[in-house]
Amino acid sequence: MIDVKNLEKNFGKNNEIHVLKGITETIHKGEKVVIIGPSGSGKSTFLRCLNLLEVPTKGQIFFEGEEITNPKCNINAVRQRIGMVFQHFNLFPHLTIMQNITLAPVKLKRMTKEEADKKAMALLERIGLPEKANAYPQQLSGGQKQRIAIVRALCMNPDVMLFDEPTSALDPEMVGEVLDVMKDLAKAGMTMAVVTHEMGFAKEVADRVLFMDEGIIAEQGTPDQIFNNPQNKRTQSFLSKVL
Amino acid sequence: MTWFNAWLERLYQTFIVADRYSVLIDGFKNTLIITFGAFLIGLFIGTVVAMIKVFADGNPKLKILDVLCNIYITVIRGTPVVVQLLIFFFIIFVSAKNGIPVAILTFGINSGAYLAETIRSGIMAIDKGQTEAGRSLGLSRMQTMTQIILPQAIKNILPAIGNEAIALLKETSVAGYVAVVDLTKAGNQIKNTTYDNINPILLIALVYLALVMIMSWLLGILERRLRKSDRR
Repeated sequence: MIDVKNLEKNFGKNNEIHVLKGITETIHKGEKVVIIGPSGSGKSTFLRCLNLLEVPTKGQIFFEGEEITNPKCNINAVRQRIGMVFQHFNLFPHLTIMQNITLAPVKLKRMTKEEADKKAMALLERIGLPEKANAYPQQLSGGQKQRIAIVRALCMNPDVMLFDEPTSALDPEMVGEVLDVMKDLAKAGMTMAVVTHEMGFAKEVADRVLFMDEGIIAEQGTPDQIFNNPQNKRTQSFLSKVL
Repeated sequence: MTWFNAWLERLYQTFIVADRYSVLIDGFKNTLIITFGAFLIGLFIGTVVAMIKVFADGNPKLKILDVLCNIYITVIRGTPVVVQLLIFFFIIFVSAKNGIPVAILTFGINSGAYLAETIRSGIMAIDKGQTEAGRSLGLSRMQTMTQIILPQAIKNILPAIGNEAIALLKETSVAGYVAVVDLTKAGNQIKNTTYDNINPILLIALVYLALVMIMSWLLGILERRLRKSDRR
């Protein structure tokens, strides 16, 4: 579904900060990939490259066979099929929850207003927040906001969902409710790429865990391999600190 | 109360005799028309220029437009509005018979330069995450700007936009330089014909003050309406 070839990303005025140093990876349909690693290892940058929120310096990314790193690619059309959830939710504060969810599908003519409202309501029922349809984001708790942000992305019927540290900005007691929604999504067969520090979630949901360090994928494998029998020294030392 | 009666008589002589008040009413109308028209033009130009400057940041294709916008802002902010008015009326639109459209255009272009910077500051103050969220849903740059960023930006800069509208209203008082009878010019004409040096001037001052107070009041209502998403 997503093929990444020799992806490199540099930041800074003269590209002096080398964040991603050549990543080649494939995410298959229906697969749940969890990306872990120390801060500054490039895991968020890697995820953000997948929908071109960061433009790669070098390398290619293919989505369903289409090269999205090609300047001729219509990235807006591709992004409609790639949902993304952010660390800081990024709900639109001037719109109600309902408007937050239905803005994109209606403006992009994916659905009529009525269809979008109906689908949004069904999704809100699914996460148990139908009564918040007419509330504004400021009236919700962090956990509720993030669940709405997930629903907002889902309303576009994406083929894959990217999660960029979705629980890192939450109070501890609200982490569970967000992870539950993500687990439901995983069970429903959604293709997911998740950057997270929630090792419990990684163990339970991931088909594959990628350990990133200093701009490369230092080690990868099943949760069992990575958490119970890591081979790489950096993986071992990272896990010994977080587990 | 003889002084009071004398004053009333003076007012009568100044404003009522020969229907002189009708000049004031026309002037009042022209002031409103110029202010309103110029504000709409200014808002349009300001929004477009602000968007070009924001989009040009990190997009070399828009470099030329960005430079043009900078020249526009520098020239307009660097010269007095009266001089701009004279240039437009006597140099650019030489054959213009009616000064009002010229005044609307001049004040609009002038206001646009100030509003552009105000609107740009409002856009820049919106968290980058808002743009990212919009773009990640597949919205174009333009859709993200008009649907997500601008509504929030406008709400935040509403007091500054109100400032600009109020300043604009008062700046139009120099429109008389190009044969436009605005409120100030009308008062001045009455002063000159009646030799009443006090009442016409005080009256137009009161009218400006009342207009500004009404504008502030309307702005307050608008602001409260836009703030409804802030309640907890």
